[in-house]
Amino acid sequence: MSNIPPSQSPLSRPPPSSPNSRPIAPYGPHNPQTRPPMPGVSPSPPLPAGYRPPGFRPGNLQNPSGRPLSYPNQTAMGPNYQVMSANSTSPPPVENPESPSQRSQTPPSTSHKPKRLYPKEITEVYTESNAYGNQYQPFTPAVAPGGIGQQIQPPAIDQNAYQQSQFFTPAGDQNYQAAAPSMAPTQYSQQYPQQYPQQYTQHPSMNASMGGLTNQLNNMNLGGHSQAQLITVNLIGTLPNVADLDAPPPPINLPPNSSVTQSDKANCEPSYKRCTVNCVPTNASLLSKSRLPFGLIITPYRSLKEGDEPVPVITDTVIARCRRCRTYINPFVTFAEGGQKWRCNLCFLLNEVPSQFDWDIQTSQQANRWKRAELNHAVVEYVRPPQPPVYLFVIDVSFPAIQSGAVATAARTILESLDRIPNEENRTKIGVITVDTSLHFYSLNSNSSEPQMLVVSDLEDVFLPQPDDLLVNLTEARPVIESLLSRLGDMFKDTHTVGNALGSAMLAGFKLISPIGGKIIVLQSSLPNIGPGQLKAREDSKALGTPKESALLQSAEPFYKKFAVDCSRSQVSVDMFLLGSQYSDVATLSRSEDALKFAHEFAEFLASPIALEAVMRVRASKGLRMTSFYGNFFVRQTDLLALPSVSRDHSYAIEVSIEENIATPTVCFQTALLHTTCFGERRIRVLTLSLPVTNSITELYSSADQIAISTLLANKAVERSLSSKLEDARDALTNKMIDILGVYKSSITGSQGASPQLQISDNMKLLPLLALGLLKHVGLRASSQIPTDLRAYAMCLLTTMPSQLLIPYLHPRFYSLHNMPIDVGTYGPDGIIMPPPLNLSSEKLERHGAYLLEDGQNIFIWLGRQVVPQLCMDLLNVRSYEEVRSGKVTLLQLDNSFSQQVNAIIGKTRESRRGVYYPHLYIVKEDGGDPSLRLWFLSHIIEDRTDTVMSYQQWLGHLKDKINSGSF
Amino acid sequence: MPGEALLFLFGTIMAAALLFMMVFFTIMFSDLECDYINPIDLCNKLNQFVLPEMLAHAFLNFAFFINGSWIAFAINAPLVAYNVQKITNNRHMYDATEIFRTLGQHKKECFIKLGFYLMAGTDIVVKEGRVRRTSNYVVVLHSFHR
Repeated sequence: MSNIPPSQSPLSRPPPSSPNSRPIAPYGPHNPQTRPPMPGVSPSPPLPAGYRPPGFRPGNLQNPSGRPLSYPNQTAMGPNYQVMSANSTSPPPVENPESPSQRSQTPPSTSHKPKRLYPKEITEVYTESNAYGNQYQPFTPAVAPGGIGQQIQPPAIDQNAYQQSQFFTPAGDQNYQAAAPSMAPTQYSQQYPQQYPQQYTQHPSMNASMGGLTNQLNNMNLGGHSQAQLITVNLIGTLPNVADLDAPPPPINLPPNSSVTQSDKANCEPSYKRCTVNCVPTNASLLSKSRLPFGLIITPYRSLKEGDEPVPVITDTVIARCRRCRTYINPFVTFAEGGQKWRCNLCFLLNEVPSQFDWDIQTSQQANRWKRAELNHAVVEYVRPPQPPVYLFVIDVSFPAIQSGAVATAARTILESLDRIPNEENRTKIGVITVDTSLHFYSLNSNSSEPQMLVVSDLEDVFLPQPDDLLVNLTEARPVIESLLSRLGDMFKDTHTVGNALGSAMLAGFKLISPIGGKIIVLQSSLPNIGPGQLKAREDSKALGTPKESALLQSAEPFYKKFAVDCSRSQVSVDMFLLGSQYSDVATLSRSEDALKFAHEFAEFLASPIALEAVMRVRASKGLRMTSFYGNFFVRQTDLLALPSVSRDHSYAIEVSIEENIATPTVCFQTALLHTTCFGERRIRVLTLSLPVTNSITELYSSADQIAISTLLANKAVERSLSSKLEDARDALTNKMIDILGVYKSSITGSQGASPQLQISDNMKLLPLLALGLLKHVGLRASSQIPTDLRAYAMCLLTTMPSQLLIPYLHPRFYSLHNMPIDVGTYGPDGIIMPPPLNLSSEKLERHGAYLLEDGQNIFIWLGRQVVPQLCMDLLNVRSYEEVRSGKVTLLQLDNSFSQQVNAIIGKTRESRRGVYYPHLYIVKEDGGDPSLRLWFLSHIIEDRTDTVMSYQQWLGHLKDKINSGSF
Repeated sequence: MPGEALLFLFGTIMAAALLFMMVFFTIMFSDLECDYINPIDLCNKLNQFVLPEMLAHAFLNFAFFINGSWIAFAINAPLVAYNVQKITNNRHMYDATEIFRTLGQHKKECFIKLGFYLMAGTDIVVKEGRVRRTSNYVVVLHSFHR
């Protein structure tokens, strides 16, 4: 024991010496020295030479008086509870230097077998400050004949510690071995084979065994002494000493080394939290036998008087909590595996010690763990700053991505948007990972001007190459971020690497930001085909339009779902920008439009404020219950939606069911969205909607909102087509329409039997049209021409778009340009005046006309084949229809009123829709242009009959026939 | 005969075990509804038992088949087929993201399976009794013959 140098940290135990090798054997795997150091975690922090960890006191059994020993415990031994609490085994008042009788009582050499059976963490507890335990060894516990077993436990445990300590002592233990007191070996061999998790029960049993031991000791006049003696007071005949009302409660006599640090604040002050009994009965019968009440008195927010020590505040945001029971780390946990893990003292789960736990953020140096406030103080406060906005860009830099210019555009856009990213409080953090067949991390140290690239090619077992500087503060590291982004486009320009390990990159990104939470923004241009979560090109053009198609729309790889669940737990969200090359051959005539669209949408997306770590709950009046939820979120409880980040203009649909009769005249729906704003405030946005209750079906129909109904039906249709088949979804939609119209016919108009009419209330008159739009929508249409990617994307939009965007998406706006009124495109009282919308029917398409159609995602200008050359001249600056090139264009701003009008309409269209979408503009020619583009345009003309789907009139006739033949 | 008796004894124990598993499943689902457990933990917990349950049932059915207990086999075969179909469609695992949407189905399925195992269990017990009686009868006959 005496050989432990004072600078030795409890964490870095010296290797055991050979004399002790035999008892060590069972602990071999736990020996911290045999473990390789974890990256980022130094198992043995280098401590200053003069440093002594708290609780470490040099002890020397052989020569107790040979060295100036400091016994702070002794001074603290009085009735002062504060000190008692931590050092519950204070030495006895009578200093008794080494009792020869004790030595003689202990038979030597029988102690090895029980030692092997000790649970590991008991070992750990006592070895954390093994010298401390030894220190008491010289003091033979004084006899307390009336002592209770538990109170006399300390000396016994000290012996325990003393035994354990030799495992970690380099040398000089031979005397100890001989002197090791045997501790009722039979009892131990019974008690200790139970390994942890039963450790909790071990303490009482140990106490019991200690009690037994104590009795033996008592018999031998060797029992221990305790401060909390049971002193019987005669009540009758003595005046009550009222001064004792201010006396502290009985001391809490914890076993020694219960707390990892020997701080006198390790246990809670009674002014904050006190228990009615200061030791807990081992079972309920003892409690009931005692008839004492058992309870806690908690005053968490007590006032601080002068002289009171303020509650220590932990500001470095490292909060260690148990994975299972969410207990916060505290002085009574135990450390294991060389201090890399800690064992929760409530549920005994072994947890990782956070890598930043031994790190001082201010000085950027290794810190002394034993000085951390949460290990020294029972009452601490953690500062948990609201989650800062975190943007981690995962950029695909494989060959297709570079070739398409996506990387260069993305880098430029991010660079230009740096000022627009929400960063009010200078807390926003940014990181970049680029990925092809390996992962490239960028060390963005704010002190250096140049970013440093770190390549990790291990895709299966992803790790972060360095613990920090990968995710940096935007404000502090602005120069180096700018330097990286300005060079990112050129950095990979000569690459020929085909292949992308998106899964690994996302896992790495998750590792990087999961301690904080935030957004992972994926810019993907190719199929992720290596590493975890790899996908195969599985689009099968033969399956399109068949029932097998829905399999293509479903997830092929469970990795992403599992990843999403993990993300939701850690408040991470993933936004994807998929820049497929597969699709660009439709009408990619000029790259600049694509780049413009992407840059605009990406910039808007980055600039939009986001709500972080949000939960949303919808409450409703009695009798109503939320049953199904549609949209992008994780349902954490039956009615709680967890949203790691709430994107702007995302919409969620919730279906409500009526559980019991509603007796009140009105009902109320209240939605509460608890979120952190990007400027660091925790806010709750509450939306309350009150609705009247009716028992009349007429009133119900007259109050129906066709827009909301279409939105909910779109969500349900997408859900249905993913869980079953596209055809089922369409059938369900058709049946829903038949039901609605049929009930209207039978219950409201009251007509029976076949009828030539098809009636619906005025407020629902557009519902059949919108339903037809949904049936003909690219997400649901029966067709063998629609690529799966396009369908899947449309389905995503259908479930996330708010109604204002969804309705034009289902039923595009259609304007005639060649004969629009003169004031169109000029500023009116409500902004720019738009032309009157037309019905989506090709009857409207005149041969000499020019038309504009937009669905929020794309804008088409249709030119009839006999369009007047002047119009081409005015609009496109070409002399005739023949010279017009169809395809994606940017409309020129020409100096004539027609061009200005059209530009104003397009500008208004692009602005007025909610969401970040920036519609492309296509010029479509009636003939002579790109036929697929013309077909695409015509697929939006939903009132017409297309190859398989009926026209609006046919659709109405179909509905009518079904209703007449049905039971309505 | 003792082989058959042994099989039916084994079948009873198996059916009881499966029954308890289903009871556990239903309890877990109602826990989820009451927010005593979060969906991720629930799915992690239940998914451990899904395949063992199916395997145990398939094995039991296989034992019936080997033994030539055609009625017991016929009763259990549809459930085995259903399980196989679920596995081939990759629908057998509980999915934390979908669990609330599909909770009703899962509960219904659990209840049906519960009833099925209960029925199968009692059926086996009854049959087992009959087998034992017959074997006794056979023994008695033998003794008469002697």
